[in-house]
Amino acid sequence: MATTPEAQWHNVTMRIPFASEKHANIAKQVIDVDRELQPDVVKRTLSVEGNDLVATFTTLTVRLARLTSNAFLENVDLVVRTIGEFGEDAEHVPIPPPAST
Amino acid sequence: MPGRVKKRSPLKAPDRPFIALGLEGSANKIGAGIIKHDPDGSTHVLSNVRHTYITPPGEGFQPRHTALHHREWALTVINDALKKAAVSMHHIDCICFTKGPGMGAPLVSVALVARTLSLLYDKPLVGVNHCVGHIEMGRQVTGAHNPVVLYVSGGNTQVIAYSQQCYRIFGETLDIAVGNCLDRFARVINLSNDPSPGYNIEQEAKKGKRLLPLPYATKGMDISLSGILTSIEAYTTDKRFRPNGPTAEDGDDVITPQDLCFSLQETVFAMLVEITERAMAHIGSKEVLVVGGVGCNERLQEMMGVMASERGGHVFAMDERFCIDNGIMIAQAGLLSFRMGFETPLAKSTCTQRFRTDQVHVTWRA
Repeated sequence: MATTPEAQWHNVTMRIPFASEKHANIAKQVIDVDRELQPDVVKRTLSVEGNDLVATFTTLTVRLARLTSNAFLENVDLVVRTIGEFGEDAEHVPIPPPAST
Repeated sequence: MPGRVKKRSPLKAPDRPFIALGLEGSANKIGAGIIKHDPDGSTHVLSNVRHTYITPPGEGFQPRHTALHHREWALTVINDALKKAAVSMHHIDCICFTKGPGMGAPLVSVALVARTLSLLYDKPLVGVNHCVGHIEMGRQVTGAHNPVVLYVSGGNTQVIAYSQQCYRIFGETLDIAVGNCLDRFARVINLSNDPSPGYNIEQEAKKGKRLLPLPYATKGMDISLSGILTSIEAYTTDKRFRPNGPTAEDGDDVITPQDLCFSLQETVFAMLVEITERAMAHIGSKEVLVVGGVGCNERLQEMMGVMASERGGHVFAMDERFCIDNGIMIAQAGLLSFRMGFETPLAKSTCTQRFRTDQVHVTWRA
């Protein structure tokens, strides 16, 4: 199996639009930290193009392509919901700083 | 002991109030807690919110389903914690999260949220060892100085003592954790998982009348529990076993689920008390601190209390708010290390299923 040349592996590319380049970058950094569970059969590259997060997976089998894409999208969903909940509040830095109690 | 000098704590009083957010999700509970350390040395729990993933009777929690639960509840729990504490994310000094040990998928779910918040608000991350979180919260809540720590939960069973900036494991389970043993037996006799299987076992055990013989498996400082689980399960296929209690024509020689709960608790708790006592004798401490989910079992606290009082000592135990996994303990342990200058860079903010208590350098204690 492992003798299949990498040129014949399966490719999946996903473009996920964000509201801003900053948020796309946050998603990229957050997801990039965790390595793929099977790095020898799944290659992942994440990049940001404009407001888009671009993910490319190269996998040995179709099944792995499906599993990795699924897991990736679940992670994106969680990050997007977190940004949706807190992104706006994070922009409004309170001035002056809180009085110490 | 000769030559023992009281060392000064390396932890300096904070020059301003410090606030930390703690996120926990290593097992079936997702928790968020906010803690504040004041310059006068006092510590305040501002909020401590938790949501538990409860499975139907007879079922345990699977990693994937637990992770989905955490993903669904994380934001609600964090928002609740912030609201109850009346604190804005902007005022928080660091975001603490459980690095391990625990189940991989749930840990990663919570870590993703912690990282996103950290980048959004530009706040440092602090990765915390779950076990150290339990110990530090226990010390904070009870005020115990240098206790032998019995850490008993669904995933861990350890007897721990502090020495030279390290929580050293004196003894532990050789196979399954004590909480795991109780939970799995609860599944066998179809007890509810609400609020927790361990709690329901404790209530059933109060109605037990017979102490049935079970293997007693302490091995030096360690204990073994899987054989006891097999033995207690075997009683449920005994022809004297009555799952719905004795009927009118039964004599005295019947076994009820209540008897089994009682026997199981008495046996495994006696083993825990034994290895804890041995650790106390080793380090010459008269204090015992019981932490972890099983630690809120009142029968265990009572048995430990008898042992400690016979040695002229004292047991420190907590209620379910701080015993069972919670976010505030992660915040407490994280903030202690943050005040000592520890931060987890984003690239190192991965989770690990295996992370032993003694791998942590406890910089904040003398």
